[in-house]
Amino acid sequence: MVTAEMVEAMEFPDLADRFNVSGVPQTTVNDGAGTIVGAVPEEHLLQEISRALQVS
Amino acid sequence: MGKLLDEAIVSQVRDVFDNQLDKPVEILFFGRKTDCDYCEDTRQLLEEVAAVSDKLSLSMFDLDEHTETALQYHVDKAPGIVFVGRDGDQHIDYGIRMSGIPSGHEFSSLIHDLVLVSGRDSGLSQETREQLKLLKEPVHLQVFVTPT
Repeated sequence: MVTAEMVEAMEFPDLADRFNVSGVPQTTVNDGAGTIVGAVPEEHLLQEISRALQVS
Repeated sequence: MGKLLDEAIVSQVRDVFDNQLDKPVEILFFGRKTDCDYCEDTRQLLEEVAAVSDKLSLSMFDLDEHTETALQYHVDKAPGIVFVGRDGDQHIDYGIRMSGIPSGHEFSSLIHDLVLVSGRDSGLSQETREQLKLLKEPVHLQVFVTPT
């Protein structure tokens, strides 16, 4: 149910631009439905996933 | 061609693998013949890492030629890397991918991913696991990083 992909931002600049990546790490949930900048604890990531699923 | 990993690094990686690898892991590499600045280096890096432990194997695919395999593993970028648990002929896909070369900080992510998949355990807390079981639709996370 969950896939996670590391994306090297300099090699895929178009994708990084699409999600306005400025600082790293930046995590995108389901193509921009959610975003987290910086490293976060897993509870925080879960909250953002729930939020992203509700708005999408 | 020279090695990408020097002996000191290989020795550190061997230490980690000897102590922490458990079950077999297969690394699936997806390259592309044109328009891929880092495919060759990534392939070489993975070959050097896979050679360190006999619990690791490496399969190579071309994103443009092996389209069915790429589709099966949802790989749409080159270089693309998928880590799967290998159990006989079976592949266990934990949904872990890398797009782009895992160098710099990401080299340790590469080693860590291999250890996680080999242990067949995400290391997530029980609460997180319970929450994730409730998911009703697929979640795709993309973590943007830079090599420095």
